[in-house]
Formats: sequence, structure tokens, C-alpha cells
Amino acid sequence: MAACTQRTGLLLRNLQFQNERMFSVFSVRLQAVGSRDEPPKFTPPAKPTIVDKSRPEEAVRRFVSPEFIPPRQRTNPLKFFLERKDMIQRRKVLNIPEFYVGSVLSVTMSDPHATNNNRRFVGICIQRSGKGLGGTFILRNIIDGQGVEICYELYNPQIKRIEVLKLEKRLDDNLMYLRDALPEYSTFSFDMKPIHLPLTQDVPINEQKVRMKPRPWSKRWERPKFNIQGIRFDLCLTPEQMEHAQKWAEPWRQYDMLKEYDTSLLEEKIFKEVQVELGK
Amino acid sequence: MAFSPMALPKVLWRTHYRPFSVSTVVAAIQKLTRVRVVDNSSLGNTPYHRAPRVIHVYTKNGFGKVGDTVLLAIKGQKKKALIVGHKMPGPRMSPRFDSNNVVLIEENGNPTGTRIKAPIPTQLRKLEGDYSKLLAIAQRFV
Amino acid sequence: MAVWSCRLLRLGDVLINTAAVTVPRTRAQTSPEGVSVVIGCVRSLKTSTWWDEHLTADNMEFLKREVTENFKDLTEARLNPLKDEAWPRHVWDEQSRRVGLVAVKLGMMPVWTKSGDRHVVTMLQVQDCHVIKHIPKDEYNGTSAALIVGAKNVSPFHRSSEYLEQFHNAGVPPKQKLTTFSVTENAVIKPGTPLYAAHFRPGQYVDLTAKTIGKGFQGVMKRWGFKGQPATHGQTKTHRRPGALGPGGDPAKVFKGKKMPGKMGNIYDTSFGLKVWRVNTKHNILYVNGSVPGHRNCLVKVRDTILPRHVLKNRNPPFPTFFTDDEELPEDLYADDLFQFGEPTLE
Repeated sequence: MAACTQRTGLLLRNLQFQNERMFSVFSVRLQAVGSRDEPPKFTPPAKPTIVDKSRPEEAVRRFVSPEFIPPRQRTNPLKFFLERKDMIQRRKVLNIPEFYVGSVLSVTMSDPHATNNNRRFVGICIQRSGKGLGGTFILRNIIDGQGVEICYELYNPQIKRIEVLKLEKRLDDNLMYLRDALPEYSTFSFDMKPIHLPLTQDVPINEQKVRMKPRPWSKRWERPKFNIQGIRFDLCLTPEQMEHAQKWAEPWRQYDMLKEYDTSLLEEKIFKEVQVELGK
Repeated sequence: MAFSPMALPKVLWRTHYRPFSVSTVVAAIQKLTRVRVVDNSSLGNTPYHRAPRVIHVYTKNGFGKVGDTVLLAIKGQKKKALIVGHKMPGPRMSPRFDSNNVVLIEENGNPTGTRIKAPIPTQLRKLEGDYSKLLAIAQRFV
Repeated sequence: MAVWSCRLLRLGDVLINTAAVTVPRTRAQTSPEGVSVVIGCVRSLKTSTWWDEHLTADNMEFLKREVTENFKDLTEARLNPLKDEAWPRHVWDEQSRRVGLVAVKLGMMPVWTKSGDRHVVTMLQVQDCHVIKHIPKDEYNGTSAALIVGAKNVSPFHRSSEYLEQFHNAGVPPKQKLTTFSVTENAVIKPGTPLYAAHFRPGQYVDLTAKTIGKGFQGVMKRWGFKGQPATHGQTKTHRRPGALGPGGDPAKVFKGKKMPGKMGNIYDTSFGLKVWRVNTKHNILYVNGSVPGHRNCLVKVRDTILPRHVLKNRNPPFPTFFTDDEELPEDLYADDLFQFGEPTLE
């Protein structure tokens, strides 16, 4: 999954590059046209408004929710097709927005035990998991000094509304280490106002690195298998300790061809299918 | 509850100590689990050299989840408490807390304190009949 | 043995003289060439040939293509069995036992009820399920008739002619799996009739039989859930062993049925009384509550439950089975309390 999100990121970035290139070509041509008509007279270069207009059509972010990508196994593809049909049915009723690990969300769900039958929770998404109708995500927040996490099922019929308050990515695809980080990194106000991000803009990557509580942690995050980028290890571990952690490195894993799973083609196909079905 | 050196002055925890975890790993509440008392009762809030421990769980299988009653050894005396949150993830869509929280109760189910400081899960409202007084002093539900 | 002697003969001319005894007389007369003749003789001992031994690659290709198309036509021609001299149909009563289905296990997924509870279901697809043969009461066991049902079309090549003959008689393509269902005499169906997932309806309860996943040779802890012994406290080579097998001198034997290590799994297992939550009539999918024995893509035998507590919910099913001519069904049938994903959010 990590690989696939990275790949979508790359794709998006490529798209943007192409766009920029197009923009430059456009402006150059315009200048050339002006110079050919009347060489001595100065014509101010046309403002590239045309390109800005065309932008939203071409550079709208493409996003396939990760639970749409079937796991790699010998299951009849019909099974995933049928599941997708149900997922699309549910998405027609409930708008499940685009979000990533690291985005701040607010979820409202119906709960017979809560006041007004509604329960709202705000928090940072620290993990997305599950495939098909079983897709889940975990929100984390610190309320009154107490760390609270809720694991939501994306397709649970009790969910009334999912709102993205801040759309961004972090350096890692899994932020479970926020449990061992200082509380300020997972504290979010329930009154947070949603920050709108234009559909055409790339999802920003928040390069924040967190400071950790003193060890012991729930997991040894410095070990290579987690490959964590978002922790300030220099503040909590000595260079010797960091080097010691490399003892558990498994450099041969990258050559394991059985574990390769290229989902780009699959993503493309599913994206089209979902777009067509949702448009109906 | 994790032994949190962060709470101490910086100088103190910088001194040499062997890092070891005193918190129960992610698990439901059983005998000898150290818990955090989240109400404002004097018994649960005066510092004591020994963290409150569960010495009995009033369930058939010996594991306590949200809404179960336990017997605590706290400040050298025995006291009943209600579990209002634990580290082990429960069913989906229900909150999971970073510490094992309890609220002290009397024999008749009334709370010892007058206020609950931490958020408590709404599914406790199922116990409305038995613990209505306890639920009434809760500050916040998640 | 034949191969062995052949190899011996090839070793050299010296051996030919000794082996000549096995060579029939007719060949022996023309045997001065030696080895080749002897080998030809040994080959003639074979009774069967490969089916494609005398076919060119093109012909084989043609045959395969033709057979697949033929089978497709056959399956389609059989879609309306009521039109050609249908067998008489009877009315369902309390004692009736219907035929079941053979389905392919696809996988699992979650569903939610209208009260918000989550359940998991197993998806089973009914693929080319046909009635193959009817065995009358007196030929079967004297108390009930039987129907043989097959599912999942397969290639007819590499299968014995005896096996293929059954399908020829029923006029359907050969199947991978055959199962027998004992049915009451009023529930018999004409061989060749296709069976569909709509044979079962949402809200009813079924029993499922399939071969469990094989685990190989396992110890008592995994196979029977024994406790084993402690990891430490002075144990020597004793951690996962069965311990004592029983009392000593008095019975002076190990009782039969003693749980011991051995092959685990790969046996037929039945899970009883699983609820059908939903039926897809287009793709012929059954959504059955909970887990089902067997691995993914295995063939599962599905039939009405025999549990007395669910019998009331199985009243008045499509009898003797669901015929497409009888009624027009929507694509998806749901149990009453099941949440449908197109419905508005629960309050």
C-alpha cells in the first residue's frame, strides 16, 4: 500500500510538471507571434490566463481510495467486483472524501448513547487499513490530556459525515509512532475550521518531524523495518544506538520478486470504473 | 499507566536510570494491572509510592473491559472501581485510550469523587440504571 | 515390469537371447534386427493410448475450441427445462427434502444489519450447477430417492469414458464435482436441469459441507488443543508433547479414539445452520453468514439445514427448485433486517 500511494504521488507530480512545461511553451509561442507581426513595436507579453483556465480540467488530482485496490491473492476477481459495486452504492449516499494518513478529519456517526444521537470526533488519521468493504482508518486526538483513538469503518452505515479539515500527507504512511511522541503533535481542537485545498493543487506534504517521549516506546521505531522518516532520532538516541538498530536491517528484502505488486494498471482501471459508476 | 519521567523536572529524568516499561502492554484489565484513577477523589489523587493495582476482576473470565467492575489495592486499602477505558482496542467505532482508566466507586455503585477528569466512552451509557450517578458527574463523552 | 524388461533388453545383444522367451513367436521369427523389434513388442502390451497421440497440433486446437463452444451451447439449450416434457411438479409439504447446490467459495466480506450490527458473510458462487442423475428410491436405499448434482464445467480430455458417460446421458458438459443429495420422491428433478442461487432465499438457513484446509501432520497441541508443557522450570525436551496416554496396568491398553498426533484437515466438515443474508441472482452468489469450511475457490455442498430450530424459517421454498420461467427476480434479494448499501445512513 505504501508503494502504491507513493506511486500516485509521483504520478500527480509528473502531471504537474507536464503542465508547467505546457505553460512555458504557451507563453513562448505567444511572444513569438507578437514579434513576427510587428517587429519594432513593443507588445506586452500576454498574461498566461488561458493556461490557468485550462488547468482545472487537466490537473485535477486523481485519487483512488486504497481500499479499492484488491490484495494480491488467488481470489476470483468477481469477488472484488461485487464488493466494489456495494462500495460505490454506499459512496453515492455518503461522500467519502479524499484523505491520507496525516490528514486531519472530523467524523460524525450516529450513536444511540450520545446526545442528539450524534457523536463527532476530530483527529489526525494515523493509519488506513483493510480492503474492500472492510476498509478502516484510525483517528487520534488528545482530549483533556487523555490520548484517544477511534478506529472507523469506512462503509459502516452508522457514519453520517466525514469531513477533511486539513488535507495533507506526512513523511510516513503510518503514524502509529504518534502514540510515543509528545502530546502536542496529536492535539487538535474540535472547533478547527476546515482549510480548503483547491482540487487542482497537489496535496502538500507536511515535513514535520516529531520529538518523542523518552524510551521505552511501544515499538522500537528506529529499527529499519519501520523506515520512519518523521522522528527526530537525533534528540532521543545516540549515534551508537542508531547504528546498533541497523543490525535488524534486511537489505535482501528489496530483491524479493515475490513481494512485488505493481498496482498502477489496476488503479487506472478501477479509477475509471468508479468514476463511471459514481457518475450514473 | 506508563511511568512518565516527563512529569518530573528535566534534570531529574536526565539522570541515569534503566529504561523499563511499568505499563501493562496493550491488553485488557486483569489482576495486577496498574491503573490510572481519573476522578477527583482524594484517595485516587494523593501521591503514594505504590500505583493502584487491580487485585480482582468481577467477570467470569477474569478480564475486564469497559463497564466491568474491579477491586483495587490503592494506598494500602481495598476499593472497588469501574473501568472506563483501556489500552486494548475494543470493537471498531469505539474509542481506545492511551491508559487504563478507572473511576472509584462505593459498594453501592455511587462514585467516590465528584468529577471525572478524562473523557469516557458513550457505550457506558448502557449501564445507565446502575451507574447513573457516575455518568452524571462525567465531564465529557467520546 | 514391462518397462523394466525393456530397459534390460536395451543393454545389449547379449541379453536378447535370454529375454527372447518373452517375445511372442510371431515376432521371434522376424527378430534378427534385435532391439527395435523387442521394444515394439513391449509397447504392444499397453492397452490405452494418450487421447491426443495421433492428433496434430492444429486438430487439437480445433477440438478444444469446438468442445468449449459445444458445451456453451449445451448449457444454454438447457436453460428452460420446463419446455421439453417436464417431469410432474408437486407441492411442498413438511416432510419434503429438496435438492441442494454445489457452489464455489469466493471469499468473505462484512455486512451490516439495519440495527447497525456487523456480521461477516462468505460469498459462494453457483457455477454451472446441473442435476446429473436421478436414482429412484428402490435403487438408492429404499427410503428416499437421490439426485446427483454436479458443478463447475471442466475439460472432457483426460477424463475416463465412464465418467463422461454420465454427463452425456444428462446432456450437460462434464463437471469437476459430483455430489449426491437424498431427496423425497416429490422433490425429484429431471436430469439436465440447471440449478441457481435463487434456489435458496434470504432469511433461510443452510448447512454447508466441504473439505477443510489440509494442515499436514500436526502435533497434539495444534490438532486437539492439548495444553503442552511449560517452557521452563526444568523441562527437558518436553514442551509440546501429549503426556500420558491413559491409565497403566488395569486396562493395560490405550483406549480407541485416543487423541494423538496425525494428519490434520483435508477431511469433510459440515457447518450447520448458517443464515443466508443475501442472494445475487445475476451472478448467482449466496451470501452465507460466518465462515465456511474449505479454502478459497473450493467446491462446497449447500443444502437446507436439518437443524430443528431453523426448520420453521425454511418453509415454502421454491419447490422442487427455482425455475427461471416461474418468476422474475430482482438482481439482489436481501434478508429483511439487512442494511442495503444504497439505503440512507442509519439513525
